[in-house]
Amino acid sequence: MIELLSEIWQTTRRNKLRTSLTGFAVAWGIFMLIVLLGAGNGLLNASNENNDRYVDNSMMIFGGQTSKAYDGLKEGREIELDENDLQITQSRFTQNIDKAGAILNEGGATITYGENYVSSSLRGVYPMFAEVNKTKISTGRFINDIDIRDQRRVLVIPENQARELIPNNPRALLGKTVRVGDMAFTVVGIEQEDKSRMSSDVSVPFTTLKTIYNKGNHVGRIVFSFNGLESEADNEAFEKRYRATINRQHRAAPDDEESIWIWNRFTQALQMAKGTNIIQTALWIIGLFTLLSGIVGVSNIMLITVRERTREFGIRKAIGASPANILKIIITESIIITGFFGYIGMILGILANLYMDATLGSKPIETGLFTTTVFVNPTVGLGTCIAVTIVLIIAGTIAGLMPALKAARIRPIVALMAE
Amino acid sequence: MQPIMIQLKGIHKTYFGAQPLHVLKGIDLNIAEGELVSIMGASGSGKSTLLNILGILDDYDEGEYHLAGTLIKNLSETRAADYRNRLIGFIFQSFNLIGFKTAVENVELPLFYQGVGRRKRHQMAMEELEKMGLTDWASHYPNEMSGGQRQRVAIARALATRPKIILADEPTGALDSKTGVEVMQLLQKLNREEKITMIIVTHDPGVASKTNRIIRIKDGVIEE
Repeated sequence: MIELLSEIWQTTRRNKLRTSLTGFAVAWGIFMLIVLLGAGNGLLNASNENNDRYVDNSMMIFGGQTSKAYDGLKEGREIELDENDLQITQSRFTQNIDKAGAILNEGGATITYGENYVSSSLRGVYPMFAEVNKTKISTGRFINDIDIRDQRRVLVIPENQARELIPNNPRALLGKTVRVGDMAFTVVGIEQEDKSRMSSDVSVPFTTLKTIYNKGNHVGRIVFSFNGLESEADNEAFEKRYRATINRQHRAAPDDEESIWIWNRFTQALQMAKGTNIIQTALWIIGLFTLLSGIVGVSNIMLITVRERTREFGIRKAIGASPANILKIIITESIIITGFFGYIGMILGILANLYMDATLGSKPIETGLFTTTVFVNPTVGLGTCIAVTIVLIIAGTIAGLMPALKAARIRPIVALMAE
Repeated sequence: MQPIMIQLKGIHKTYFGAQPLHVLKGIDLNIAEGELVSIMGASGSGKSTLLNILGILDDYDEGEYHLAGTLIKNLSETRAADYRNRLIGFIFQSFNLIGFKTAVENVELPLFYQGVGRRKRHQMAMEELEKMGLTDWASHYPNEMSGGQRQRVAIARALATRPKIILADEPTGALDSKTGVEVMQLLQKLNREEKITMIIVTHDPGVASKTNRIIRIKDGVIEE
């Protein structure tokens, strides 16, 4: 092997310019592949981070408008979800549904503490809301079951709104009594600020809000977490069953798809994952096609090399080199050229990714309502580097194969021909 | 009588081109071990074809060729390469040294294909160069040497594997007459002292006269 390598060094050294020009094409191909994959990863990581705000296996149900006439009633009726629906959601689907709750919203609430006040809106929630929405509490606690049972006047306020009330030390608001409109509420928790979301509401117990604001039988939106629905088909079947059940309560056609709206975060995540795969495959294909021109280049110079060294290979064969020996020389040379320049491309690509990470990756974009980052960690992993190495070896072999076969077929008689 | 090294029986060779060319028309030839033989003939006589067959560089159509007791016929390329490597040493008109390798690396090459280890190979190659009086030139490249020196490196390479026969194709053809004479003397000495069977293809009567036997080919047959 050492012999083979020193021999390849001896021969490529003679054609520095030619070898490096061809090598550039390979390096460029790999560079593009790495940069594309890195940028792709950056975009996907950013979108994943956005989607990560919710627990995947949860659904949210909204009331809609019937689209079909049914049971003697015309289409176009508003459907509002009520206590009965929540009850059914909790009791009839125990096989799949873990925890169910509802969310009621009440806008235009002014929260006052001493001289300071802040305009906000309220949402009546169940304790499970914190899990589904991955709410992070910086101090205190979230709404609990006792709050719901006793209809306590407690609230959880986002940190940025707490700052309006006690500018220097928002967390000191914990345990204090604030006024919401005319009523006194106790602050039991402060919610961590999340800049990637639009301004958050103040959370109060669902039952409290319902009673205070006279919501009657209405429950707003139903939200629940579920389990055991692994495939898209499972989810569809479940949604169909659930829809039919709820529709029947409202005298709507069981197959009416507009009477209620189901937002299934799990199927959404499945589709995202599918989309991610498609994007990544597409990036690989683009990168590999870029690399292809490099491979053709290497193949081409290897052909020229074989032509130039015809006599030498003839001599080698005359003094005892087998076709396999000759094949090995050319293929190894091809792999080394491809691999060497490929790695240069790979290192440059990784550096470009690091540069992207340092510039775009750490620059949040302010939309006014929320901030977001276009690129999150736009780099490739070790797995990609290993995959690229394998690609390079395969590419080098393919590039060298035809010239090598040609070299192996050279007849030793050429050694006897006069120059 | 020495044992027979090369035995050709009724060798025929036809090149099938646009016009089939019957080059060798039944060659019968025996060469004993330790002989120094020259093959002469005009161009187109079939002399080169005979050399190709003797050197296992080309196959033949009819007849039998035994080299050191082994039948050489319809060999795979790998087998042929192996036999060439172990049985035959080639000396070419234009030396055919590999330009980017030093003298000693050139001599090592056939040993490399035999699978001889690095250190052993180098040692054996240096011994051969020493016999040729080229120890000081071992790490020089061919283009730094004179024609005579290059041909002696080529001879060292041919001898490195201790082959059964040496096939020389116009060994003095690219040399001036004085150097040519020296190379011939060297070959004669090797034949005499090391008892190596040697076949020299030439059209130079001066070279042929230095050999023990002259085989003349004309129109694909031997006229002795």
